[in-house]
Amino acid sequence: MKTCDLAIVGAGPAGLAAATEAAELGLDVVVVDENARPGGQYFRHPPAGFRPVGETPWEKDIRRGQSLFAVLGHPRVTYLPDAVVWDMPEPSVLAVAAGPRSGRVQARAVILAPGAQDRPVPFPGWTLPGVISAGGVQNLLKGQRIVPGTRAVVAGNGPLLLLVGANLVRAGVKVAAIIEAAPIWRRLPAELVRLVAAPPILAQALRYRAILAHAGVPILAGWTAVEASGSQAVDQAIIAPIDETGVVDRARRRRIDCDLLVTGFGISPAVELPRLLGARLRYDALRGGWTVERSADFETSVANLFVAGDGAAIGGVELALAEGHLAAQAVARRLGRLHAGEGSTWEARWTRLDRFRRGLESLYRPPRSYRALITPETIVCRCEDVTRAEIERRRGEGAASAVQLKAATRMTMGRCQGRNCLPTLATLLADWAGTEASAIAMPRPRPPIRPIPIGDLAVEDLPPPDLPADPHLPRGRR
Amino acid sequence: MTRRIDQGIDRGAAFRFDFDGQPVVAYPGETVAGALLAAGVARFRTTARSAMPRGLYCGMGMCWECLVVIDGRPSNRACMTEARPGMRVETQRGLGGPERS
Repeated sequence: MKTCDLAIVGAGPAGLAAATEAAELGLDVVVVDENARPGGQYFRHPPAGFRPVGETPWEKDIRRGQSLFAVLGHPRVTYLPDAVVWDMPEPSVLAVAAGPRSGRVQARAVILAPGAQDRPVPFPGWTLPGVISAGGVQNLLKGQRIVPGTRAVVAGNGPLLLLVGANLVRAGVKVAAIIEAAPIWRRLPAELVRLVAAPPILAQALRYRAILAHAGVPILAGWTAVEASGSQAVDQAIIAPIDETGVVDRARRRRIDCDLLVTGFGISPAVELPRLLGARLRYDALRGGWTVERSADFETSVANLFVAGDGAAIGGVELALAEGHLAAQAVARRLGRLHAGEGSTWEARWTRLDRFRRGLESLYRPPRSYRALITPETIVCRCEDVTRAEIERRRGEGAASAVQLKAATRMTMGRCQGRNCLPTLATLLADWAGTEASAIAMPRPRPPIRPIPIGDLAVEDLPPPDLPADPHLPRGRR
Repeated sequence: MTRRIDQGIDRGAAFRFDFDGQPVVAYPGETVAGALLAAGVARFRTTARSAMPRGLYCGMGMCWECLVVIDGRPSNRACMTEARPGMRVETQRGLGGPERS
């Protein structure tokens, strides 16, 4: 078992910022990340073999990322790439699966910086090849310099759509339209007062808008994708207006030819580890659904367990960097390496960015529900091919709760472990019960929280388990 | 149009791997998913239960939709696997086990 002052889960913006701050303050740090290369999604960069030729729109972010990666070579920092945290048997212990490097890390404090994932919004045809999440398209562009189509429709909700659209235009793709569910043009005047709190981010958004305008890309606000059609891959996106209550006007639907439908309905914090440890969560529809409750120091309800960045509540890269620094300072204070009142330069920045975030959230406030998109034949659980009709049939047979529907349909039991269907199941259950998704009891996550090769477990050098002589007795009783 | 962005990047020396018997071009450091998409291949597998076509979806290792058979071993995430010269990649049918025809 490896021991350290601080273990950080995730080498994206928040994790790297936390590692930088902690190493500077003299802490011994272990950084565990499931990707082969650091940067998370935001600072995803091309492989070492790709050599830049001249200046492209991407280079500034790459250089910024690389200055953050420097901390991974710091003498007080141990970096474990290609390593999955599959369990935390205690709040201070990480179980790590990493082939022959598998094992456990014991830390005096832990900062979780697992980031976020695209929020799944099912509609007919969303499983067709060529329908790709906004995050996935960004990764292909940033990490591979590859575009997965020639004629694109970008549909969903949130500021990421402008960025993906502009990036596709710059990559030479014909972008037929941006389909934004929120009526942003109508709301914009009222939100400007908060949006000016972060002038560089606002300026960036205006640049993306200009790129799209110059390419003649229409932005339809108050519209949504309602279907992707095609047999072996997408060949058309079908769109229709949606109002703020979630009612879709299918009579006004339009078809747009495309071989790439990018869907981005916002992102959700990856809360599996906090949930596994029983940390208190809070439902916040504007910040991605289930978020982690934290103190002003970014500590969860579990002592010495901190969460920074989008993994706690969606806020974007600049907030994630600030939270990484602030959480590491809080850990250093806890461990007596920093005195109260010291190292607070990030606080004012966080407050300003948070004001901007609130403006942006209000501008992009999504329709109350997307359930009108989930027709009976729509696949809800992609891993196990479970449709809404099948869920309703099982419900008719008596499976009433999330746990019962899980057992009856196998939904949430596939390889993605519910990441792509649990939010939808919560929406449907809430709808049937006449309540909010926040009120729905979700199945308890269990380790391994991600699929791992069973051989990785055999590498661990653990004491033999205290098994009862009678296998029917609970563990630890004889 | 090419699906590789050539502006501002020198990819180094191309190599090939095999996809369902056809050669596919890749560059060092590219993922299997990247190279297949650059070659215009969108469908990576069919599902076990309904034989529905699937391809890359999340692009970050989370959804397990982009599974392919590599050198006879099923269920590799194409988005997380680096392409290597001479590797044999196949469309995964269902669970990709030896029962596939």
